[in-house]
Amino acid sequence: MPLTYPIAEQTLDNGLRVVVSSDRAVPIVAVNLWYDVGSRHEPAGLTGFAHLFEHLMFQGSRNVASGQHFSLLETAGASLNASTFFDRTNYFESLPSGGLDLALWLEADRMGYLLDAVNQENLDNQRDVVKEEKRQSYDNRPYGDSYERLVKLAFPEGHPYAHMTIGSMADLDAASVEDVHAFFRAYYGPNNAVLTIVGDVSEEDAFDAAKRYFGHLPAIPQPPEAPDGTIGPLTEVLRDDVVSDVPSDLITMMFRLPVDGTPELDAAGLALDILAAGQSGRLNRRLVRDEQIAQSVSGGALPLIGGVSFGTLTGIASDGIDLQKVEDALVEEIEKLAEGGITEDELATVQAQAERDWLEQLATCAGRADEISHHALLFGDPNRINTRIDQVRAITVEQVQAAAAKWIRAGGRVQVSYRRTETGEEQA
Amino acid sequence: MNQVLTTPPAVGAPRPWAFPAAVSTTTSVGTPVHVFDRPGQYVATVRVTIAMPLIAEPRELEGVATIMSRTLDEGTELRSANDFAAALERHGAAYGVDVSSDALHVEISVPVSHLAPAVQLLAEAITRPAFTKADVGRHVTIRLGEINQERANAGYRAREAFAGNLFDPATRRSRPTAGTPDTIRPLSNVQVAEFYRDNIGPGRAQILFAGDASGVDVAGIIDEAFGSWTSAAGPAVETPEPLYIPGNRVVLVDRPGSVQSQLLIGCAGPDRRDPAWGAAAVANHVVGGTITSRVDTVLREEKGYTYGTRTSFAAPRKGGTFSLGGAVRTEVTGAAISDALRILREARNGLTEQEVQEAKDSLIRTAPLRYEQADSVAQQVGSNIANGVPIDFADTYLTQIAATTADEATEAYRRYVGTDGLLVVVVGEAKDVRPQLTTLGSDVLGKLIELG
Repeated sequence: MPLTYPIAEQTLDNGLRVVVSSDRAVPIVAVNLWYDVGSRHEPAGLTGFAHLFEHLMFQGSRNVASGQHFSLLETAGASLNASTFFDRTNYFESLPSGGLDLALWLEADRMGYLLDAVNQENLDNQRDVVKEEKRQSYDNRPYGDSYERLVKLAFPEGHPYAHMTIGSMADLDAASVEDVHAFFRAYYGPNNAVLTIVGDVSEEDAFDAAKRYFGHLPAIPQPPEAPDGTIGPLTEVLRDDVVSDVPSDLITMMFRLPVDGTPELDAAGLALDILAAGQSGRLNRRLVRDEQIAQSVSGGALPLIGGVSFGTLTGIASDGIDLQKVEDALVEEIEKLAEGGITEDELATVQAQAERDWLEQLATCAGRADEISHHALLFGDPNRINTRIDQVRAITVEQVQAAAAKWIRAGGRVQVSYRRTETGEEQA
Repeated sequence: MNQVLTTPPAVGAPRPWAFPAAVSTTTSVGTPVHVFDRPGQYVATVRVTIAMPLIAEPRELEGVATIMSRTLDEGTELRSANDFAAALERHGAAYGVDVSSDALHVEISVPVSHLAPAVQLLAEAITRPAFTKADVGRHVTIRLGEINQERANAGYRAREAFAGNLFDPATRRSRPTAGTPDTIRPLSNVQVAEFYRDNIGPGRAQILFAGDASGVDVAGIIDEAFGSWTSAAGPAVETPEPLYIPGNRVVLVDRPGSVQSQLLIGCAGPDRRDPAWGAAAVANHVVGGTITSRVDTVLREEKGYTYGTRTSFAAPRKGGTFSLGGAVRTEVTGAAISDALRILREARNGLTEQEVQEAKDSLIRTAPLRYEQADSVAQQVGSNIANGVPIDFADTYLTQIAATTADEATEAYRRYVGTDGLLVVVVGEAKDVRPQLTTLGSDVLGKLIELG
């Protein structure tokens, strides 16, 4: 049974796609913009640029002083942020519905006139902040560089998913104000974005407000396409074995998976869930509960739009257990899954979990707005939020089996392992 | 086409809002049940909050409450750990436990369409756990591994050192909630079952439901599952007031290889019994509660020392804390601490009318966002119960905030922050940080304590 969230959409003359989902049950409204620019669009030498804008977009624009974006919205009662991913960048706020005009005005001012405020001073400052973000999120925590290492192995050099969103600090250091301006001009404009408004506003008022604040912004030239990342399953095993001062030995395996928006990707995701999701997944039962060779296991699919996705499986070895044992058990379970024997009950369990996850994601205006932007921008159809559960429920055991056999194989994986140094063990 | 607007459009008045109301009943054995009907929330949360003060743990077995809580679902009188997980997850439910200094929370999130069987399983875990030797032993091992992970985590190390140096050793909160290796290792299923028997029962519990209740007899489903719960557990003991260690001092925790210093700076703070709890939240918002606050305006936006810091007043049932936390680049650790202490101390001189008004607007107007999702209602009410305040305390808190003047916000802040000194915890590369602390000097920092 499809869900029944209302969806209305219009495209403005300048190409801005506006989607509205009215919900008068709550006194708040969520505004969410997805720009069709992520790390996959970054050419060599400009890695980390999409993410850098996630910072610069809060430093003011033509009619907004530095810091004012946050202060105006916070005073209006907003929760706000932005995020950058491989496929896109998004900017969002939720606030009491009387603040809708303010939110749209602020978003439009930075979409149209950000560059008035991007200068050497705030570029330097935000570059420093990004470096601290990288230190905090990647460098100063155990295993923090694992994804950087894995995508480098899983995809050929220059592939759109071979580098992380945080990018290279060398590229950021080399960036001039002109480079930054040029990147903005290429990607940030009404015809390269989706604006979603969800919550306490009528469809008519929401479209009127969108036109009022965004209608005058000029379209930008068609932005360059991201390079095509279409690529098949891995056909070999590549390893990156790290010895460092980690608290426990850990292994993460990565697989290429089918592109997002296909039943094949949904099936592959469910296959990984059968192995790694929840307490009842096969890996938790065997490695953690029965054999007790792992402290914990985790994993799942990361859906991507650019020709290929990826998925991971991670195990942290129990103290005193050789990591090789964990790797061997993972390999065995991967091959067992590929060879058959998935039960209807296992599939129904991971489908039920996917359904709860999805309903929780849509439980807030902000979450719903994010998924509407997502499905409008990447698949051209925001109505998919209402049929998503049915799509996942329609996947059969045979489809999961076929996806596992093709994409999730011991002989087609990359992996990073971390083992403790001798001194690390003495210190522990 | 319209004229481009060069000034921000006006913000309309927010619609009135109050914390969601509950329909309260009791189970057949007298356990209070609070049902929050939240239309459109198709995933419900059922949360069981049980008074379980950690001071009930024997000193040499600290962590027994945590291991007990984590093994409730690891096998029941009716089914094995694997079978229990399979049954629960087959209904699309997620299960979790949380242990705080005053209470145990056990909860499930589940699509409302599967509510009844999932609540039965929740009750089975809480009222009929098996505590087999093997399952408890496994969780002791997992907890020991987790301690290794915690020790590698700069943020965790900072919190541990902060608690250990802010609270007197006689106060339970000076030590980790989930125990240390020497108190975890001796635990077996015997002590776990004993702790359960003495502390978990219907007389200590309250049961919360938040979700779309239309057409569902929620109270009936809960009574069906929990209505025959019996237990020998007596009433919870009263936790004593915490004892704080006053004075300026700096604790340096060596974490070789660190590329940033994790900071945690703070002191004692109010708890919810204090009528100035709301005023303190307003002051906090101004000083360090957001990216536009006084601290981050300097540390992040002017100087680029950090990805971001935050301050907070936090409190369990009795005795709160104030703290400023964040990570800064190793080379600027001394400078960042100096700036942070200066800003924290200068705020004692007064917060402006405008700052306070903006903070009040933000805190009051964000309330409907904070409680939009069913689970956040259940979480808030569960923590109100644990903290010993009425279930609609969110309304009291908002009323306190609305009534706060700039003078009252300043006064609430000044009563705590910097009055009895500030504890500074630094987790980082000691050989690089030590000289920077020495340069700042003991006039600013107080005495230096080094931890390995």
